[in-house]
Amino acid sequence: GAAFGLYFPRKEYSENVYIDQPAGTPLLRIHALRDSHGEVAHFHLCQHLIIFRARSHENRWFQIREKTGLLYLSKSLDREDFNMLSVGNWVPLSKVVLSVFLSSHPFQEKECDSATRTTVSLSLMNASAPACSSLTARQLCFTEMDLSFHIKENKPPGTFHQLQLPSVHHLCQNLSISYKLLAAEGMPFRYNENTTGVSVTQRLDREERERYELIAKCTVREDFREMQVEVPFLVNVLDEDDSPPFLPNGTDTADAVVEFNRKEGTVLATLTVYDADTTPIYPLESSRKKYTGTIITDDPWISETFRVEHIFDEIHFSPNGSQVRGTQHEYKLVLNKSISVTEHRSFQLDVLVNDTEFHGPERSVMLHFNVSILPVSIQFPNMTYQFTVNRNAERFAQIGKICIENCMKFRGVNISYKLLSPNVSCYPVSILQGREGKWGSLYVNDSSVLHRPECKEIQYTIQATDKQSRKHTKTLLTVILEGTLLKKEEDCPDSCAVSKHRAECEECGGLGVLTGRCQWRQGSGKGITTNYSTCTPSIKTCPDGTCDVIESKDPAVCPQDCTSGNIIGGHGKGTGNLGIKSGHGICYCFPRQNCYCEKDDIKEQLCDEMCKTVI
Amino acid sequence: LAGPPSPPGQDPHGWRVPVDCVRANELCAGEPSCSSRYRTLRQCLAGRDRNTMLANKECQAALEVLQESPLYDCRCKRGMKKELQCLQIYWSIHLGLTEGEEFYEASPYEPVTSRLSDIFRLASIFSGMDPATNSKSNHCLDAAKACNLNDNCKRLRSGYISTCSREISATESCSRRKCHKALRQFFDRVPSEYTYRLLFCSCKDQACAERRRQTIVPSCSYEDKEKPNCLDLRNTCRTDHLCRSRLADFHTNCQASFQSLTSCPGDNYQACLGSYAGLIGFDMTPNYVDASPTSITISPWCSCKGSGNMEEECEKFLRDFTENPCLRNAIQAFGNGTDVNLAP
Repeated sequence: GAAFGLYFPRKEYSENVYIDQPAGTPLLRIHALRDSHGEVAHFHLCQHLIIFRARSHENRWFQIREKTGLLYLSKSLDREDFNMLSVGNWVPLSKVVLSVFLSSHPFQEKECDSATRTTVSLSLMNASAPACSSLTARQLCFTEMDLSFHIKENKPPGTFHQLQLPSVHHLCQNLSISYKLLAAEGMPFRYNENTTGVSVTQRLDREERERYELIAKCTVREDFREMQVEVPFLVNVLDEDDSPPFLPNGTDTADAVVEFNRKEGTVLATLTVYDADTTPIYPLESSRKKYTGTIITDDPWISETFRVEHIFDEIHFSPNGSQVRGTQHEYKLVLNKSISVTEHRSFQLDVLVNDTEFHGPERSVMLHFNVSILPVSIQFPNMTYQFTVNRNAERFAQIGKICIENCMKFRGVNISYKLLSPNVSCYPVSILQGREGKWGSLYVNDSSVLHRPECKEIQYTIQATDKQSRKHTKTLLTVILEGTLLKKEEDCPDSCAVSKHRAECEECGGLGVLTGRCQWRQGSGKGITTNYSTCTPSIKTCPDGTCDVIESKDPAVCPQDCTSGNIIGGHGKGTGNLGIKSGHGICYCFPRQNCYCEKDDIKEQLCDEMCKTVI
Repeated sequence: LAGPPSPPGQDPHGWRVPVDCVRANELCAGEPSCSSRYRTLRQCLAGRDRNTMLANKECQAALEVLQESPLYDCRCKRGMKKELQCLQIYWSIHLGLTEGEEFYEASPYEPVTSRLSDIFRLASIFSGMDPATNSKSNHCLDAAKACNLNDNCKRLRSGYISTCSREISATESCSRRKCHKALRQFFDRVPSEYTYRLLFCSCKDQACAERRRQTIVPSCSYEDKEKPNCLDLRNTCRTDHLCRSRLADFHTNCQASFQSLTSCPGDNYQACLGSYAGLIGFDMTPNYVDASPTSITISPWCSCKGSGNMEEECEKFLRDFTENPCLRNAIQAFGNGTDVNLAP
């Protein structure tokens, strides 16, 4: 990584300041760690105090020793100072914030905007300094802040913290307060009893271990009493880019076949690259720049047609029992545009992956995709279509589906189906494009033709055309009319969905029926369910939860799938607020108006008590 | 320890009581010297940090003059008219006055002086606030009933519930944007004696806790396909004046402190609960993570996965939601119907 120079092992320090503490009172000690041997730390305060409300004051009270990092009071804070600093702080506790800067040479004022800084929050206590006897052992030993530090990997050792609190030490000189660092055996840390300093004894490697959990123990002796306090002492190791990318099991090649799925955005193949370093998700853009994947080609067609998508995710590995975070990078080869069905070629596509911040010879790996683009043929299966249609079918009755070979596997291929009109007057059916341009739906368009006796067997030619390449294919379709005409019931509604009861449902016809009569679907009758009772032109297609192209031609065909109006009663709406997904009891609809779902509990008594006795 | 905050309208130091920023802006516009300095400062702050700004003599002069103007101390009120405009004025000054990216930002809202006990007083017409009622009672169900008996609460509640559960298409289960907007309206316009009861009801069994978790329709307003990194989410939130303000308000009022008995700043539970509710309907929407009746865990929809070297900071941010004694105490105190007794 970049040369950071000296750095602070903590982001933030905190301490309390009391009214009328004398000038010279030490507050806290700040340490710095080195980036390279021989660096000397110089600490400096810039002359602005930031109060929590963005109001700033000239700093007249605090100073820091340039060499040792000891922050102390250079002037006592009296009540007037307190009042001035507390203005604008609405919370009872005011805070002032100081920035401490770090430099490897004696300080010049203009460096006050250098990046290496740490924050010291001083809480202004609205009272005079407490007596030692009133402080708990916890307060005598440690501040409120967690003892949590970060140390960069691969950096020289050094002291990074002092356990003794300078303010307490100064205040309570007759108390004996001693510290110990527990659980430190075999860890690269040492505690120096004379200075109470904690130092790191060797260069750390985050890829070996990234967290050390120790315990700081403090013992307070006062006359004959002894009190002990233990708090966790944590060290996090910061990562730098010191590992090259590598391939799991050496896999650097993947096959990418383009056949039926030719749609823009399709992922053809994925190759994985590992890296033992962490890659932050935040901020995302810089991480994207850090790890690049580039298609190596001078063929403009390839660079237009393909793109590489890079996603990365955190993974864990365990070098020696402790969990360490690493990164898994995935490079996906993606179609940048839909490919025509006539395209036919194969080639190797190389992607260069580069870990830009790693300074070593193996900073990049080459990934290979064996791309084969196969053509797909636009043809009907070698048979002709034959459908029989009942003469009592009504307009919008769905007869069947027309589909070229493998049409359901197609994506990104748009096929349009057309009926080439026969030279006869019998022309009852039409075709409509299904969703996503995969198949065609055959339906009755003119039911009056079905009633004409001279129309029996009608021959059509169907043509399927690929919109992009204009390639097309044809096949024959035979429609056979069968059945005898039934007499139409009087005063039947034109929509099956209007019927509320089984009897009236099954004796009427309606738009979309196949055999002249509506069908009754008997539901399970358990609360609000998708399996509700209803009257429909064809149980196979309505209600099935989708408002298909034929149903959407006329709202009277299948309001159960297509209604966008009100539904009264217990119900759940379908996708996109269309149709009745689930209902309570029987659902029936008045097309272009409301639908109703209700329990039908009018049970007609066949025989009452009176009649029983007569029998 | 710290005493109670001073009552509104009085200032312990005879200092100006802050006006709202919209009003302060009007006052400033009426003074040629103030308005020209304000314009200068806004140009100074455009895309620069504090230090570069202060290096410029003209900018520093503008800042010093403005420190004396009402704009400098102005605040906003939650749910006030022109709240967004007020916050835009506030941040136009304060964004450049902070030392870079701060972990905690000060709230632009006026401090809350009301207490939980005020709510309990208002709510005493309800039953169920008394913890001594029978152990069978489901407080979350009672809260829903109470809301349904109030026209305003009922209207806005059914409004957000229907908006948040309306399926758009097979891929998009709901419109998150509209759902958030409806939730914000509910929490901004319905009195807290209704909204808090729904959000913070106390539970003894899982069914009740699940109802509590479902209050904000989490499948739409909270959960998402992927969990972003919390620092990334915070960054997104900070690009939006409203979200940024609500988050700063949450940090100001719910920041756990060891200085007080309750762990809350100024022992004010009401302020913490209010700023928690104020986050609902934004990117930083918090919620209960599970239906555990007793152990309450709150979190925004994010994780610290992929934090790199910022993991410490990320976990610290997340802990302010997941392991925050102030927030936990405040929620429990509301559930038990207790408040801190302040010495008069």
